[in-house]
Amino acid sequence: MSVPQSRIFDLLQVQCRIFSQTFNPQRLRTGNRVLRQRLRGPSVAAYYPRRVATIKDLKKLYKGFDEEMETWDDDEEDRLEHLLLAKQRGKGAPKKKRTAEESKKIKGKKKPAVAAIAPKESKF
Amino acid sequence: MSQFRAKKLDLSCFINVRVLRDHTKRKVFEQYETERQALRYIIRNTTLPGRARAQAQLQLSQMHCYTRSTQINNRCIEGGKSRGVFKDFRMARYPFRMNALEGNIPGVKKASW
Repeated sequence: MSVPQSRIFDLLQVQCRIFSQTFNPQRLRTGNRVLRQRLRGPSVAAYYPRRVATIKDLKKLYKGFDEEMETWDDDEEDRLEHLLLAKQRGKGAPKKKRTAEESKKIKGKKKPAVAAIAPKESKF
Repeated sequence: MSQFRAKKLDLSCFINVRVLRDHTKRKVFEQYETERQALRYIIRNTTLPGRARAQAQLQLSQMHCYTRSTQINNRCIEGGKSRGVFKDFRMARYPFRMNALEGNIPGVKKASW
Protein backbone atom coordinates (compact mmCIF):
# COMPACT_ATOMS: atom_id res chain seq x y z
CA MET A 1 0.00 0.00 0.00
CA SER A 2 1.54 3.26 -1.05
CA VAL A 3 0.71 6.68 0.39
CA PRO A 4 0.62 9.63 -2.02
CA GLN A 5 3.42 12.13 -1.47
CA SER A 6 1.03 15.06 -1.10
CA ARG A 7 -0.47 13.30 1.89
CA ILE A 8 2.95 12.91 3.50
CA PHE A 9 3.69 16.57 2.92
CA ASP A 10 0.42 17.50 4.60
CA LEU A 11 1.39 15.41 7.57
CA LEU A 12 4.83 17.04 7.69
CA GLN A 13 3.27 20.47 7.54
CA VAL A 14 1.03 19.72 10.48
CA GLN A 15 3.95 18.23 12.37
CA CYS A 16 6.03 21.35 11.79
CA ARG A 17 3.19 23.58 12.92
CA ILE A 18 2.71 21.64 16.13
CA PHE A 19 6.38 21.57 17.06
CA SER A 20 6.96 25.11 15.73
CA GLN A 21 9.53 24.06 13.18
CA THR A 22 9.99 25.52 9.72
CA PHE A 23 8.40 23.53 6.93
CA ASN A 24 11.04 23.02 4.27
CA PRO A 25 10.06 20.28 1.80
CA GLN A 26 12.71 21.23 -0.76
CA ARG A 27 15.36 20.86 1.95
CA LEU A 28 16.88 24.22 1.21
CA ARG A 29 19.82 25.31 3.35
CA THR A 30 18.23 28.18 5.21
CA GLY A 31 20.65 28.31 8.11
CA ASN A 32 17.93 27.76 10.69
CA ARG A 33 20.31 25.36 12.38
CA VAL A 34 22.31 28.37 13.56
CA LEU A 35 19.25 30.10 14.94
CA ARG A 36 18.19 27.00 16.82
CA GLN A 37 21.50 26.81 18.69
CA ARG A 38 21.47 28.00 22.25
CA LEU A 39 23.63 30.90 23.34
CA ARG A 40 26.62 29.58 25.26
CA GLY A 41 27.92 32.95 26.39
CA PRO A 42 26.48 33.19 29.90
CA SER A 43 27.69 29.73 30.92
CA VAL A 44 31.09 30.24 29.30
CA ALA A 45 31.61 33.60 31.00
CA ALA A 46 30.69 32.15 34.40
CA TYR A 47 33.63 29.74 34.44
CA TYR A 48 35.93 31.59 36.81
CA PRO A 49 34.53 32.55 40.22
CA ARG A 50 33.76 36.25 40.25
CA ARG A 51 34.96 38.50 43.01
CA VAL A 52 32.43 39.21 45.70
CA ALA A 53 32.59 42.16 48.08
CA THR A 54 35.77 42.22 50.15
CA ILE A 55 36.50 43.91 53.46
CA LYS A 56 38.43 46.55 51.57
CA ASP A 57 35.34 47.35 49.52
CA LEU A 58 33.21 47.54 52.65
CA LYS A 59 35.67 49.89 54.27
CA LYS A 60 35.62 52.11 51.23
CA LEU A 61 31.84 52.08 51.13
CA TYR A 62 31.42 53.07 54.79
CA LYS A 63 34.27 55.52 55.05
CA GLY A 64 32.64 57.90 57.49
CA PHE A 65 31.63 55.22 59.98
CA ASP A 66 35.08 54.17 61.17
CA GLU A 67 34.37 54.83 64.84
CA GLU A 68 31.12 52.91 64.97
CA MET A 69 32.09 50.02 62.76
CA GLU A 70 35.03 47.81 63.54
CA THR A 71 36.49 45.79 60.71
CA TRP A 72 39.46 43.52 60.43
CA ASP A 73 41.44 42.32 57.47
CA ASP A 74 43.85 39.52 58.25
CA ASP A 75 45.61 39.68 54.91
CA GLU A 76 46.19 43.40 55.18
CA GLU A 77 47.52 43.00 58.73
CA ASP A 78 49.88 40.25 57.61
CA ARG A 79 51.14 42.44 54.81
CA LEU A 80 51.79 45.39 57.11
CA GLU A 81 53.55 43.15 59.65
CA HIS A 82 55.76 41.76 56.90
CA LEU A 83 56.62 45.29 55.75
CA LEU A 84 57.45 46.33 59.30
CA LEU A 85 59.78 43.36 59.76
CA ALA A 86 61.46 44.03 56.45
CA LYS A 87 62.05 47.64 57.41
CA GLN A 88 63.55 46.60 60.76
CA ARG A 89 66.01 44.37 58.99
CA GLY A 90 66.90 47.21 56.68
CA LYS A 91 65.32 45.45 53.70
CA GLY A 92 62.43 47.84 53.21
CA ALA A 93 61.65 49.85 50.12
CA PRO A 94 63.77 52.98 49.64
CA LYS A 95 62.29 56.33 50.55
CA LYS A 96 60.41 58.24 47.90
CA LYS A 97 62.57 60.86 46.27
CA ARG A 98 60.96 64.28 46.25
CA THR A 99 63.14 66.20 43.85
CA ALA A 100 64.51 65.38 40.43
CA GLU A 101 68.09 65.70 41.63
CA GLU A 102 67.70 63.13 44.35
CA SER A 103 66.23 60.60 41.99
CA LYS A 104 68.91 61.23 39.40
CA LYS A 105 71.70 60.33 41.78
CA ILE A 106 70.86 56.67 42.05
CA LYS A 107 69.49 56.07 38.62
CA GLY A 108 71.44 53.49 36.63
CA LYS A 109 75.08 52.60 36.57
CA LYS A 110 77.83 55.07 36.07
CA LYS A 111 78.42 55.37 32.38
CA PRO A 112 81.99 54.72 31.22
CA ALA A 113 83.90 57.62 29.77
CA VAL A 114 83.86 58.14 26.01
CA ALA A 115 87.57 57.56 25.74
CA ALA A 116 87.26 54.09 27.17
CA ILE A 117 84.70 53.07 24.56
CA ALA A 118 86.66 54.27 21.56
CA PRO A 119 88.98 51.56 20.20
CA LYS A 120 92.64 52.17 20.77
CA GLU A 121 94.78 52.82 17.77
CA SER A 122 97.13 49.98 17.17
CA LYS A 123 100.51 50.41 15.61
CA PHE A 124 102.25 47.77 13.63
CA MET B 1 43.95 42.50 24.28
CA SER B 2 43.98 45.12 26.94
CA GLN B 3 41.20 47.16 25.38
CA PHE B 4 38.72 44.49 26.49
CA ARG B 5 40.17 43.95 29.94
CA ALA B 6 38.09 45.03 32.91
CA LYS B 7 39.37 48.17 34.56
CA LYS B 8 38.93 46.62 37.96
CA LEU B 9 39.83 43.06 38.89
CA ASP B 10 36.68 40.94 39.02
CA LEU B 11 38.06 37.49 39.78
CA SER B 12 38.39 35.76 43.10
CA CYS B 13 40.29 32.64 42.05
CA PHE B 14 44.00 32.25 41.36
CA ILE B 15 45.05 35.08 39.07
CA ASN B 16 47.88 35.34 36.63
CA VAL B 17 47.97 37.03 33.27
CA ARG B 18 46.87 33.92 31.41
CA VAL B 19 43.83 33.44 33.60
CA LEU B 20 43.01 37.11 33.23
CA ARG B 21 43.34 36.87 29.46
CA ASP B 22 41.12 33.82 29.27
CA HIS B 23 38.52 35.48 31.48
CA THR B 24 38.55 38.55 29.25
CA LYS B 25 38.10 36.37 26.19
CA ARG B 26 35.11 34.70 27.78
CA LYS B 27 33.43 37.99 28.50
CA VAL B 28 34.11 39.32 25.00
CA PHE B 29 32.76 36.10 23.51
CA GLU B 30 29.56 36.49 25.53
CA GLN B 31 29.20 40.07 24.39
CA TYR B 32 29.57 39.35 20.68
CA GLU B 33 27.97 35.91 20.47
CA THR B 34 24.64 37.10 19.07
CA GLU B 35 26.36 39.18 16.42
CA ARG B 36 28.45 36.23 15.35
CA GLN B 37 25.44 33.93 15.23
CA ALA B 38 23.52 36.43 13.11
CA LEU B 39 26.39 36.64 10.64
CA ARG B 40 26.70 32.86 10.60
CA TYR B 41 22.99 32.60 9.83
CA ILE B 42 23.34 34.95 6.88
CA ILE B 43 26.31 32.98 5.59
CA ARG B 44 24.57 29.63 5.85
CA ASN B 45 21.30 30.80 4.32
CA THR B 46 21.44 29.92 0.61
CA THR B 47 18.19 31.73 -0.13
CA LEU B 48 19.79 35.13 0.56
CA PRO B 49 21.62 36.99 -2.24
CA GLY B 50 25.22 35.99 -2.72
CA ARG B 51 26.51 39.49 -2.25
CA ALA B 52 25.00 39.79 1.23
CA ARG B 53 26.42 36.41 2.18
CA ALA B 54 29.87 37.33 0.95
CA GLN B 55 29.71 40.56 2.91
CA ALA B 56 28.71 38.67 6.02
CA GLN B 57 31.63 36.30 5.52
CA LEU B 58 34.01 39.20 5.28
CA GLN B 59 32.54 40.85 8.35
CA LEU B 60 32.75 37.67 10.37
CA SER B 61 36.35 37.07 9.40
CA GLN B 62 37.25 40.63 10.31
CA MET B 63 35.84 40.45 13.83
CA HIS B 64 38.34 40.49 16.66
CA CYS B 65 39.85 37.12 17.51
CA TYR B 66 38.70 37.49 21.14
CA THR B 67 35.10 37.13 19.98
CA ARG B 68 35.80 33.57 18.85
CA SER B 69 34.87 30.67 21.07
CA THR B 70 37.94 28.71 19.97
CA GLN B 71 40.15 31.20 21.77
CA ILE B 72 38.77 30.09 25.11
CA ASN B 73 40.65 27.49 27.07
CA ASN B 74 39.62 26.03 30.40
CA ARG B 75 42.19 26.82 33.07
CA CYS B 76 42.64 25.63 36.63
CA ILE B 77 41.03 27.96 39.16
CA GLU B 78 43.55 26.90 41.79
CA GLY B 79 46.77 27.43 39.89
CA GLY B 80 45.99 28.69 36.42
CA LYS B 81 47.31 25.58 34.70
CA SER B 82 45.86 24.79 31.30
CA ARG B 83 46.73 21.10 31.04
CA GLY B 84 45.09 18.23 32.82
CA VAL B 85 42.12 20.33 33.89
CA PHE B 86 38.94 18.47 34.84
CA LYS B 87 36.04 20.25 33.22
CA ASP B 88 33.57 19.34 35.96
CA PHE B 89 35.76 20.56 38.79
CA ARG B 90 37.60 23.36 36.91
CA MET B 91 40.78 22.15 38.56
CA ALA B 92 43.99 20.59 37.35
CA ARG B 93 44.66 17.00 38.34
CA TYR B 94 46.93 17.75 41.31
CA PRO B 95 44.82 20.42 43.07
CA PHE B 96 41.84 18.20 42.38
CA ARG B 97 43.52 15.27 44.12
CA MET B 98 44.52 17.41 47.09
CA ASN B 99 41.04 18.86 47.48
CA ALA B 100 39.37 15.50 46.98
CA LEU B 101 41.53 13.83 49.62
CA GLU B 102 40.76 16.65 52.05
CA GLY B 103 37.07 16.15 51.36
CA ASN B 104 36.49 19.63 49.98
CA ILE B 105 34.75 18.36 46.84
CA PRO B 106 31.33 16.94 47.61
CA GLY B 107 30.58 13.53 46.17
CA VAL B 108 34.16 12.61 45.42
CA LYS B 109 35.72 9.68 47.21
CA LYS B 110 38.93 7.77 46.71
CA ALA B 111 38.14 4.49 45.06
CA SER B 112 39.56 1.28 46.40
CA TRP B 113 38.68 -2.27 45.51
